Amino acid sequence: MLESLISFLNSTGIAALIENAKAAIAAGTGGFDQLMGVIGTPLMLVIACVLLYLAIKKQFEPLLLLPIAFGMLLTNLPMFANSGAIMMHPEYFTDPAYFIDGKTLDMNLIFTKGGLLDLLYLGVKLGIYPPLIFLGIGVMTDFGPLIANPKSIILGAAAQMGVFLTFLGALVLGATIPGINFGVNEAASIGIIGGADGPTAIYVTKTLAPHLLPAIAVAAYSYMALIPVIQPPIMKALTTKKERQIVMEQLRPVSKTEKIVFPIVVTIVVALIVPDAVSLVGMLMLGNLAKESGVVDRLSKTAQNGLMNTITIFLGLTVGATATAETFLTGETLGIVALGLIAFCFSTAGGLLLGKIMCKLTGGKVNPLIGSAGVSAVPMAARVSQTVGQKENPANFLLMHAMGPNVAGVIGSAVAAGVFLAMFA
Amino acid sequence: MTLSEALSQGLQVTATGLIIVFGVLLILMLVMMLMKTIFYRPEDGNTPKKAEAPATGAPAEVVMDDSELIAVLTAAVAASLNTSTYHLNIKSYRRIDTFAPAWNKAGLRDVIDARF
Repeated sequence: MLESLISFLNSTGIAALIENAKAAIAAGTGGFDQLMGVIGTPLMLVIACVLLYLAIKKQFEPLLLLPIAFGMLLTNLPMFANSGAIMMHPEYFTDPAYFIDGKTLDMNLIFTKGGLLDLLYLGVKLGIYPPLIFLGIGVMTDFGPLIANPKSIILGAAAQMGVFLTFLGALVLGATIPGINFGVNEAASIGIIGGADGPTAIYVTKTLAPHLLPAIAVAAYSYMALIPVIQPPIMKALTTKKERQIVMEQLRPVSKTEKIVFPIVVTIVVALIVPDAVSLVGMLMLGNLAKESGVVDRLSKTAQNGLMNTITIFLGLTVGATATAETFLTGETLGIVALGLIAFCFSTAGGLLLGKIMCKLTGGKVNPLIGSAGVSAVPMAARVSQTVGQKENPANFLLMHAMGPNVAGVIGSAVAAGVFLAMFA
Repeated sequence: MTLSEALSQGLQVTATGLIIVFGVLLILMLVMMLMKTIFYRPEDGNTPKKAEAPATGAPAEVVMDDSELIAVLTAAVAASLNTSTYHLNIKSYRRIDTFAPAWNKAGLRDVIDARF
């Protein structure tokens, strides 16, 4: 009996923690790497708990941050190497040593040795979840304000400025700071954070820079939650009080025919120019068509509720589970967090500046505040425009006007993602 | 990658990327404008002048069946006064300009208060 008790004790997580620390000390090369080998995993557990705190107590995008943080927790629990209890093996997806000929994913290995999260992660790796999330978003999106005011789509394009400027910034950072290795692929994945669109960022990153996936997902979703904090100071700095007080004309009503034709036409147009954006834009528009057509009520209900919630759990959990100490506790993560913020700021500024130009060109009919809603983050960014505008003029209702650039931003960031994929994938 | 390489490649991608994004969305804008000319018929009349009329919001209320609107207004007033709709009787309603001078608003409030 004593023997079985000892062998049980040797299989516990505590034993694994001690064993792994010993191995790290024995094999360590000294310095930072060795330190991380010993305290890395426990530190990740602490980070996971902090993120859980932010999700539960501060309600930072809890729908995603909670599963992401818990995935992080699950993947960093102390386990013996080769233990059957390991739920996620990020190395199967990023380490060429586990690939067939060092190039393609070893599906057989994943299916036979992989844990629950490995199997679910295939949905991210194969690019299944982000488009399905877009399907649900499509059902929830009303393109009416955009169709009523087509010019506002340009603001959605201007807000992609942050994406490309951050791409540039990431490349420069990679070239100047030793220890940060950002090539074009990494830079593109970081830049897309500025699109303020979680699924899009994940879709680009899983293809171009899978090793940065957890850091980019966490940065994207955290900053999206912080939009009401990040945007208002920039909005106030770049606009005058008079501009913020502008009351816009009420939007014209949009006919049902227009709402039905719009998703079909957009899909075709985008496919003709940026085919790489179609899996995102196409699913977005399918969801929207399901809603606007009004004939497939059951499908649209499923897409925006059951299906979307299921996918959100899978996506959050598995993206979080890729965050191991080796990939997450690096200088690059810090770089991503900093660049992500810059991306958000530049995107906001891009939208605002074009908003100002449109304000001048139309003789003061456009309130530049709606420009900042061009970063996707639906509907949070539009609500920020509304709040900031209402502070200057309590009777001003910018929400519907801001929804135009806001939904245009979703299309814009998907197109930007398609551009990056076409160039670098 | 050296700094100059990073800068030149970064600028190149930034320029191309922005041009493509703006290009695609500009085309979509034109498509939407085209859609408006093909599919959009203003509800009352075909002349473009009248097209702007419903945009002000007021005429829509005139056309609408009053009983529904009054039901909504009664419910809203009842909710804000914490009373039952049973105690209220809406006799008339009028849209006031959001920029009405403070004096007008104060006067209006006095009239309303006097009826309770």
